[in-house]
Amino acid sequence: MDQDVVLEIKHLRTCFYSNGKELRAVDDLSYKVHRGECVAIIGESGSGKTVSALSILRLISYPPGLVMGGQVLYNGKNLLEMSDEEYRKIRGKDISMIFQEPSAALNPVMTIGDQITENIMLHSDATKEEAWERAKGLLEEVGIPNAAERLKQYPFEFSGGMQQRAMIAMAISCDPDVLIADEPTTALDVTVQAQVLECLNRLRRDHNMALIIITHNLGIVARYADSVKIMYGGKIVEDGSVNDVFLQPAHPYTLGLIRAVPRLDLPRSHGLQTINGEPPDMSKIKPNCCAFHFRCKYADEKCRNQRPLLEQVGEGHYCACFHKEELDKEREEVLSDGAEA
Amino acid sequence: MAQKLNFLEMPGAPERPLDNVLEPDDIMYVDDLKMHFPVTKGLMKRTVGVVKAVDGVTFHVKRGQTLGIVGESGSGKSTIGNCLLKNIIPTSGNIYYEGNNMKDISTHALQRMRKDLQMITQDPFASLDPRKNIMQIVSEGLRIHKMFSNKEEMDDLVVRQLEMVGINPDFRFRYPHEFSGGQRQRISIARALALQPKFIVCDEVVSALDVSIQAQIVNLMMKLQENMNLTYVFIGHDLSVVRYISNQVAVLYLGKIMELTSSDELYDHPLHPYTKALISAAPIPNPIVDRKRERILLKGEIPSPINPPKGCNFCTRCPYADQRCREEEPEMVDVGSNHLVACHKVSGK
Repeated sequence: MDQDVVLEIKHLRTCFYSNGKELRAVDDLSYKVHRGECVAIIGESGSGKTVSALSILRLISYPPGLVMGGQVLYNGKNLLEMSDEEYRKIRGKDISMIFQEPSAALNPVMTIGDQITENIMLHSDATKEEAWERAKGLLEEVGIPNAAERLKQYPFEFSGGMQQRAMIAMAISCDPDVLIADEPTTALDVTVQAQVLECLNRLRRDHNMALIIITHNLGIVARYADSVKIMYGGKIVEDGSVNDVFLQPAHPYTLGLIRAVPRLDLPRSHGLQTINGEPPDMSKIKPNCCAFHFRCKYADEKCRNQRPLLEQVGEGHYCACFHKEELDKEREEVLSDGAEA
Repeated sequence: MAQKLNFLEMPGAPERPLDNVLEPDDIMYVDDLKMHFPVTKGLMKRTVGVVKAVDGVTFHVKRGQTLGIVGESGSGKSTIGNCLLKNIIPTSGNIYYEGNNMKDISTHALQRMRKDLQMITQDPFASLDPRKNIMQIVSEGLRIHKMFSNKEEMDDLVVRQLEMVGINPDFRFRYPHEFSGGQRQRISIARALALQPKFIVCDEVVSALDVSIQAQIVNLMMKLQENMNLTYVFIGHDLSVVRYISNQVAVLYLGKIMELTSSDELYDHPLHPYTKALISAAPIPNPIVDRKRERILLKGEIPSPINPPKGCNFCTRCPYADQRCREEEPEMVDVGSNHLVACHKVSGK
């Protein structure tokens, strides 16, 4: 096995059950995460991007959700087959996560210091004093001034950006190998968003940890990610390096997304291309079809009756579409946009 | 009854002669608008301070065009929107709509004016009454303003509105919960447009929507603007969306306009350090273009509007701030071709 791979997800499938119906939120998801790599998972609401992360952390509760199949290999061990006690030693230590809404994720009746030291003491033999000292160092590392004072404060005394930094401090307190960030900056202001992302990116380099960013913001991905997975309807439809996906998009959905975002560097006259229709309703999609066919202008009979699998289109670049050859003309238009700028 | 007395109203400010400032294609002119909210404390609601949500903004809105207002949370952008429609009564300053001062308009006349002045809000889940069906929601304004003579006519009007915004009119007896976020935002637009308004305040209309739906709504709004000669004030926090839909963009920070210029000029020649930082903070979805760009990372966060800094509002986070910026407030200066900027370092005076 590749030495550099810290996390490998194989054929993961997570389903939700309600009213006697099965809903495949994540269907046959596979990808690898290398040490120190920044992986971005892009998808709209309902694409299964958050559920896939929660499945890795085994935070899906039954009922209604259940991880039905697949493997999550961390250093060669399958996390999904571990006992709860074993897994608790990994979650929060080797693999940790930060959430979209920091004000909802922090405990309002515990001080920030207590919340950070709780995690440190759970995963090491540190005494309270040592843990507190380490927490102070962590707050300084994520750029919170007056760390010693701030540790004694409660979450409501922190602004949104500061809360998210405190969450990051907590998540990296045990030097994780993998940090999963689920929409880490969606709730923050633009200038604060830039600060938090720079901070995350710096920590990734300093600690050589892998960072999985889940987002719908293509700009953030273009700026920070090494490799990109585009999710649609619970499946990965395109997977490749950031340059491949943004400059040589192979899937019509990827192309559509790129053309639907207004770009600051192009004149207004450039125009916006839209993708027709609405994000998919997972309960209405049959498993044996391309989930995107409702909105795709290339769709034909084959797309409605057969599910396209990921196929290689370039080195390390995969795409699941029957019509990827027909995209050339549209792709050229996108490429020329990049050249103008 | 005479106008409601505002406790903070400052008397004695002479009104400027309007003819000198009003431009021929102005639909709205906002002159030194201020909105201060009191901060109260204790059982007796003692006033202990004021939140200077909007603190002296002046701008023109041109007929048939879009003015974008971009700012972070707490910059006062939604407060401006509410003042423009007289949803709240400003502390001081004047708003002229079609040459009439909004201050002098009686409640009764204002109700008639509501036909022309509409608003579309951010959250399509909160802004539609869950107990009314789409028909009732869209026709409510029509009924109030008596814009139809019989039921068939009303039905016809609603159907036409829904078709215009891309909602299947057969769904008009359904309720809001049966629609997705993007569809609800279309219904909000249909409701606002049913009265055939001239002026619409759009407050964070696309922020709650998915990327692919955002583009649909933005394109729809631009098409409707062209067809109906609408004027928009488009409020948002995402500079790339605001710039795309607007002809002019005002960059707001702590209740004051920092820079106001045409939207292409704003990206090509940003002058204010805050504008530059905003542009740099908005990543461009192209890895090659984006990774070559200059990065300006601001320190800290937007200060509280209860206690704004002395001098220039931006001085606490500005990389170029000096003694003068901390003491003296910069004035809006026209640096040529209608490019207004409030910064000591730019105006160079």
